[in-house]
Amino acid sequence: MSTDAEPGTNDELDDDLVDDPTTPRAANPWTVEPLDRLWDDKPGVRGFLTAVQNDAVGVRMMLTGFFFLLLGGSVDSFVMRLQLARPESELIGAELYNEMFTNHGSVTMFLVILPIFEGFAILTLPMILGAREMPFPRLGAFAYWTFLMGGLLYYSSTLFQAVPNAGWFAYVPLSGPEFSPDLNIDFWVLGLGVAEVGAIAGAIEIIIAVLKLRAPGMSLTRVPLYAWAMLITGVMILFAFTPLIVGSLLLELERGFGMQFFDPDLGGSSLLWQHLFWIFGHPEVYIQFLPATGIVSMVLPVMVGKKIAGYRWMIAAMVGIAFLSFGLWAHHMFTVGLPAVILAFFAAASMMIAIPAGVQIFSWIATIWEGRPRFNTPFLFVIGFLVTFVLGGITGVMVAAVPFDQQAHDSYFVVGHLHYVLIGGVAFPIFAGVYYWFPKHTGRMLNERLGRWNFWLLFLGVHMTFGPMHVVGLLGMPRRVYTYAEETGWGIWNLMSSLGLLLIIPGLAVFCWNIVYSYKKGARAGHNPWGADSLEWALPSPPPQQGWTTAPIIRSRHPLWDQDDLHAGTEKQESLVRALASWPLNWRAVLVVRTTDGEPEEIFRVSDTSIWPLVTAFGTVGIFAAELLKLRWGALVSAAVIVFAVIMWNRPSPAPMTEEEEIAFEREHGVPVRAGGSLIVSRWGTGICLLFLSIGFSSFLLAYFYLRIENSVWPPAGVDDPSIWFALIDAALFAGAAAALLSGRRALLRDDRRGLVVGLAGGLVVLFTAGALLVYDLATTPFSASDHAYGSIFHTLGGFVVVVTFISFVMGVVTLFDAARGRFSARRYSWVDNVSRFWVATALFAAIGLAVLYGTPWFTSGAT
Amino acid sequence: MGGRLGSALAPHGDDAATIAELWWFMLVLGLAVFILFAVALVLGLRRHRDDGDVSARDVDAGATRRASRWIVSGGVVLPVVVIAVVLAATLVAMREVAASDDDAELTVEVIGHQYWWEVRYPDTGVVSANEVHIPADTPVEITLTSADVIHSWWVPAVAGKMDLLPERTNRLVVEAEPGEYQGRCAEFCGTSHANMDFWLVVHDDGGYERWLAEQAEPATEPPTAAARRGAELFVAAGCGSCHAIAGTDADGAGGAPAPDLTHLATRRSILGGAADGTTPDLIEWISDPHSVKPGALMPDVDLDDDEIDDIVAYLEGLE
Repeated sequence: MSTDAEPGTNDELDDDLVDDPTTPRAANPWTVEPLDRLWDDKPGVRGFLTAVQNDAVGVRMMLTGFFFLLLGGSVDSFVMRLQLARPESELIGAELYNEMFTNHGSVTMFLVILPIFEGFAILTLPMILGAREMPFPRLGAFAYWTFLMGGLLYYSSTLFQAVPNAGWFAYVPLSGPEFSPDLNIDFWVLGLGVAEVGAIAGAIEIIIAVLKLRAPGMSLTRVPLYAWAMLITGVMILFAFTPLIVGSLLLELERGFGMQFFDPDLGGSSLLWQHLFWIFGHPEVYIQFLPATGIVSMVLPVMVGKKIAGYRWMIAAMVGIAFLSFGLWAHHMFTVGLPAVILAFFAAASMMIAIPAGVQIFSWIATIWEGRPRFNTPFLFVIGFLVTFVLGGITGVMVAAVPFDQQAHDSYFVVGHLHYVLIGGVAFPIFAGVYYWFPKHTGRMLNERLGRWNFWLLFLGVHMTFGPMHVVGLLGMPRRVYTYAEETGWGIWNLMSSLGLLLIIPGLAVFCWNIVYSYKKGARAGHNPWGADSLEWALPSPPPQQGWTTAPIIRSRHPLWDQDDLHAGTEKQESLVRALASWPLNWRAVLVVRTTDGEPEEIFRVSDTSIWPLVTAFGTVGIFAAELLKLRWGALVSAAVIVFAVIMWNRPSPAPMTEEEEIAFEREHGVPVRAGGSLIVSRWGTGICLLFLSIGFSSFLLAYFYLRIENSVWPPAGVDDPSIWFALIDAALFAGAAAALLSGRRALLRDDRRGLVVGLAGGLVVLFTAGALLVYDLATTPFSASDHAYGSIFHTLGGFVVVVTFISFVMGVVTLFDAARGRFSARRYSWVDNVSRFWVATALFAAIGLAVLYGTPWFTSGAT
Repeated sequence: MGGRLGSALAPHGDDAATIAELWWFMLVLGLAVFILFAVALVLGLRRHRDDGDVSARDVDAGATRRASRWIVSGGVVLPVVVIAVVLAATLVAMREVAASDDDAELTVEVIGHQYWWEVRYPDTGVVSANEVHIPADTPVEITLTSADVIHSWWVPAVAGKMDLLPERTNRLVVEAEPGEYQGRCAEFCGTSHANMDFWLVVHDDGGYERWLAEQAEPATEPPTAAARRGAELFVAAGCGSCHAIAGTDADGAGGAPAPDLTHLATRRSILGGAADGTTPDLIEWISDPHSVKPGALMPDVDLDDDEIDDIVAYLEGLE
């Protein structure tokens, strides 16, 4: 197989070793082993539960994603295809079928592709970027635990015989309390809700890793396309999943607390859910697709032995896809009766996505034209991707044509289309990626002969299964039907689809066998078995825990092809990377670079193993499980657990260097060391958390104004307008609290530690007053939260401000505790900085929230 | 009419015909684009063989120019031209589909229920279920709303879909050739979503007026002794509190919404297509509704076999 897989076997001792000896390798200083131990997780059960190391977290996420794929992606689809193989089949009944298609969609969209990609990014990004870790290892661990527990909570519905059955889109009113009174939908909302929290945590981690944790010299224009793809995907996850979490929260408030958002008789709107769902749902498709294109952009150039054509075009295309994808959600709603102008707008916007997708396709084709293809398994899957995805893209333009979509929508045509896009566009690149990177992480090549069987069985099986669906859809077969009459004439097409499984199942079996077989017996892989250009291939296979002991110095977009020595650069750069690898920094030191040009900015200590992410995840899942069991006190206990665990998670461990040692290091190398906690990375972390809260807040505002527009009388008849005076006073109090803390922060920067304590304490009193007033006003409104959509959204939006205020308050108390004990100084002030930012954001949320809640009725009364 | 007319590719209505044309046009265009792509891909793959020459990895100036040409022509110009054409065709088709919207000569009201269709003919008092009758070659306005969850009206041979929402009334204007067309619910609406079919019956030559006049009549008197017993049982067993039968004590006013059965025996199928309405079908349905149509609101009734036979005899006489 080595002749197929690889340009030249090398001349080292082992004939079996697949490697390209012409590319440079990472330096191998004596500190590799002690650092390997330092970065490793602890052994044993305790080690397993406290693990934060990116390899462990990444692999766990991916394996769990594959596990859910086998459970929900495969078993369900096989049974459904058996049921539909012939007309009027009585294999499984309506209930089971409806549960299965709900499960199939929900699991594949939430619990499979996303964790596989996030896990893969957490596993590989540090190596690809020339860094040692992800920026917030504990956040990564938290992302994994919440994702796992969310998935298990969702799946536990099987044990309670309450499997979700309203489709992966859970349209209200079908999913509402009236038509789904049992717990089925609660499992859906709450289980997936936990997993969505994990997805966002992972996204924050990924965004900051790509922007800040890179090798010296890796400017933004030298960042590999895969990392670009993950960066854009991370931002999209933030913007797409947050509205979904808000929508799910509204649905659960309606189901569990009797609030009203979707019932038209009480001022709600069923379309509000559809808007919130598809603002998430459509970008979700591209959230799955962009990482796949990132993989293709890494694999394809290596397999044709040519640098990617149109690197900048590619980035522009991915950014374009990300922007466009948020502007075309309504093409899922072409049949709800929207006005023709809106339909035409969304049709045009939907078709526009063909332009950036076309740019990507033809960049790859141009690369192939210049290159010399090696037809091994990863490349076969890339070609399979191109062919299948282009077909899915063409039918995608078709369904953007409004009148045609009014026929195709919710028919099997769309089922065919979306599987071409998601299997061709996402699953095939995942297979290509597994074949490509498996040797890096295991030191073994996957078997090439089995790989070819794997590819051809899947490729033919996929087209045989999903091709006929286009036809049967146009013959009138709707989606989500468990049976059809013989007279419809759909039987033959369905039989063909089902027979396709006879190719897909063995294809997947060959894949599993290849993994198991090659893990033990595959040909051994050297550093760079494919002769690739990106950094990870300069490391040993498998790499040490810290990945890069001596950070590489990057002078090219394709360092392994263009650079003879990965550690040569300016004198300053060289001395810095040597210092990073040497023993004075005998702690988990990570380099932060400037976003644009990749020049070193800071060295900070990344967090180490901890049990608290797991405890926080337990608290998170506890809140959701308590809602499921209707144990309201359980939710309070869980919230207390979260508060305590997050405080413990963030407790600082003693800095391994004194301030004087830090200053000496900075003088020698010109880069500040912050052993007590990063200034820059934590600023980014806080910023992105606030961005997340802002998106959530905006989603609440969107819901508020949507309901406002749906109701001509607002507030409903018999309810007085709320007091604008109260809003003005309370908003001023919130602003005053933030101002007090800011004055304390300024005092600290003058090294006036007492001034900080005074400002903080004063701010806490004012913040408490502001929050308490708001809580009192919400508790004494003359209308209830459950009579009308007005009261429901009023209390929900007000509740959001209260929750943010509570978080600010807890942060303030912890800060006051530490400030009184003299933890902060004019040099170590990043914690105070971030809390200040949070307080300012709280004041802004409060000002906007109060203005909307208390001002809107008065300001829009003329509009009715 | 032989077979079931339910294909979007064999249109019998003006909207469906417009859409089918749009489809064939897009299919030809799409195939052309795919062939262009496939030729470019195959030629590219066959151009060079791997010779292990690592110096060839670099991109020379000529290659950068060639790549830009590929990307601009294939990735920008080609999609822009194609989507401009498709968008134009889309807008033209939207105009044509909407063209008859203001010309509707009569209105039929359709209300979606889990899992059946209530059909009302305003100003005539006629109420029916799971069948919509309209005259041929006349623009007819169908108003669509839902009494419970979201449903979607889809008669592929006649027109595209339109959703039935609880919060508003959508409208669809259809014009079709004479015939009987299969319609279905296209939005997942619960357990028996698959059993929510209906018929769109398009009459020619005054057939619509004749049909409407028949339907406006009260129910026929039970023709046999068994049917008379059935009629009494129907009211006594409480069937009539949900199902109305015009001209009898069964007014359907006392319970959940349920299909009007005044002219049940004239319908082409029952239960939204879950059964054809033969005698054994009706018996099975009344004895064990949920094995025939899972999730239906029809309760299990406490009747013995003879009583059920009588009720079925009554129902089969409702012409």
